[in-house]
Amino acid sequence: MDRYNKPNNIGRYGEFGGMYVSETLMPLLLELNESYKKIKKDKKFQSELRDLFNNYVGRPSPLFYAANITKYLKGPKVYFKRDELNHTGAHKINNCLGQILLAKKMGKTRIIAETGAGQHGVATATVCALFGLECHIYMGAKDIIRQKPNVFRMKLLGANIIPVEIGSKSLKDAMNEALRDWIKNVRDTFYIIGSTAGPHPYPQMVRDFQSIIGKEARKQILSIEKKLPDFLIACVGGGSNAMGLFYPFLNDKKVKIIGVEAAGKGSKTNLTAATMTAGTPGILHGSYSYVLQNNDGQIKEAHSISAGLDYPGVGPEHSYLKKNKLAEYHGITDKEALKAFQLCSKLEGIIPALEPSHALAYLFKAFKNKHKNKILILNLCGRGDKDLFTAAKEIGFDTDE
Amino acid sequence: MNNLDKLPKKNILSLFMTCGFPSLNQSKKIFENIQKNKPEIIEFGLPFSDPMADGQVIQKSNKMALDNGLTTKQSLNLIKLISKNKGKTSYVVMCYLNTILNFGIKNFVNSCKGFVDGIIIVDLPYEEETEIKFELEKNNIYLIKLISPMTNAKRSKKLLRNSNGFIYYISSTGITGTNKLNYREINKNVKTLKKITDTPILVGFGVKTKKDVLIINTKTQADGVIVGSAMIQMFFDLNNNLKKYIRSLDRYIKSLKIN
Ligand SMILES: Cc1ncc(COP(=O)(O)O)c(C=O)c1O
Repeated sequence: MDRYNKPNNIGRYGEFGGMYVSETLMPLLLELNESYKKIKKDKKFQSELRDLFNNYVGRPSPLFYAANITKYLKGPKVYFKRDELNHTGAHKINNCLGQILLAKKMGKTRIIAETGAGQHGVATATVCALFGLECHIYMGAKDIIRQKPNVFRMKLLGANIIPVEIGSKSLKDAMNEALRDWIKNVRDTFYIIGSTAGPHPYPQMVRDFQSIIGKEARKQILSIEKKLPDFLIACVGGGSNAMGLFYPFLNDKKVKIIGVEAAGKGSKTNLTAATMTAGTPGILHGSYSYVLQNNDGQIKEAHSISAGLDYPGVGPEHSYLKKNKLAEYHGITDKEALKAFQLCSKLEGIIPALEPSHALAYLFKAFKNKHKNKILILNLCGRGDKDLFTAAKEIGFDTDE
Repeated sequence: MNNLDKLPKKNILSLFMTCGFPSLNQSKKIFENIQKNKPEIIEFGLPFSDPMADGQVIQKSNKMALDNGLTTKQSLNLIKLISKNKGKTSYVVMCYLNTILNFGIKNFVNSCKGFVDGIIIVDLPYEEETEIKFELEKNNIYLIKLISPMTNAKRSKKLLRNSNGFIYYISSTGITGTNKLNYREINKNVKTLKKITDTPILVGFGVKTKKDVLIINTKTQADGVIVGSAMIQMFFDLNNNLKKYIRSLDRYIKSLKIN
């Protein structure tokens, strides 16, 4: 069997991926691709990144045996990959550090980013503060309201937040506006994309930076259990935490890989973000992948209780994994995620973010009394602090004093 | 025969307007008026939900058209209808790739055959064009190339080999409808392109006034201009009053015409 070697040199994962951008951006993406190819092999770059991972982020993140959930499930042995313990509270910082080091090497002085949940915005603002670079964050007006704590965090960190009032007023349009900013300011600006979405080389670059998650998990489980896991589970928005966990296991054919999307009110309704369950292949933000669209190719608005999963597209590599049956994808509704959010808090004393609550919900749903004696790793990619107000409102708890 | 092969040597005027804006019926009246003025080229913009390279004015026009339920089929039918009085005017469709993919490449090209002379696909770079270009060439429709200030001479040479119709030179980095024109930079870059290609070069993005049109045509080696956002902005400036708009538009287009 051939080793997994996607993407090819023009950013293709099978038919998916590619670079669908205007000619103003194209020369830039080609330059970025060349720089990235060179720099990622550079020993100094790697050691700088490793040092930041260890001493700034707090890596490696632990692999925690969730004994109480295991007992509750009467199913597989459940391990949490605890990227929620990272500095800034989610996996997003892994990617931001990689990209800002690259931006510095390329001589860029101005950083822009899009954000949905605000986690990527916070992580970007954090690395900009650390490296003393100007930082502009595009955020949908709707998300600014539901992720207030993160908005304040970004401001404290010195970022300029630009509310996006057009379209869905969430992640999709924040990304459109960030791309427009980039087209205008090509010469001095570096766009730190927060997920495995966008045109090549972003999906590859973000996956590579996030794959520290899977590399660590692989080593950790081999050291604890002396064997590979049977299952990997991660939530999928644009797909970065999931690709980060999955990628180092793609040559291990016996490891079953499961991605969990946000189904919102249900993947058969119009209020969903389950791109791979409810979508069809098309182009969004410069890449060919599954996308929620109508018959005319107009992109639909997504819906999810979780701002980080509220995106009508998905990274092209996930489309490839799905199409080639290297991974399977399932939808979890707002309601199911909210229940899992509470259950995990009570059982393990860990308040998860609403995004990995989708992965947890699938675990509770599909593994109860099943797959005994198997080993499962779930990517607990973010903590729930940012979601407390949203969750309280949904559960009906009054947070006003 | 492709009308783009018969473009005049100088002062080419290309007018961009969004299809179905503000509604299908009103759009028909607007295009009829544009056609009456016999510009060398009309660019028909197909609305897209996520027009990445467009500024607020064109975004707004796209959204109005789509909110009124406009479909790709309706846009193409509209263009066909207007083309009855096409005469020597060249018809160019400007769109994003996802629109074509969902319509089906073959089906789309077939639906344009006979009255569309060129297609501009904003987010289709040279690296990805092979399949569509093949289909278009079979049907005598030109794939119009975009060149930006970021495209260096080496890349321009590659992109413009066998170019047809005209070259769309993007006046500045940025999205449609923004930016001030930097004539010195335009002049310099157009000069470079002229050494590479004989295909007419039109300057677009940010061209608004009669003065812009005159300067680009006289002070640079460009062969003409493309005006878009400025025409659409007028509609909003007139509080969406169609009657007034068509009168102003008519006057405005006449003022831009040199040929
Ligand atoms: C904690 C957390 N998990 C998951 C996501 C979704 O992104 P991705 O699918 O790229 O991991 C986000 C996005 O903001 C997030 O904050």
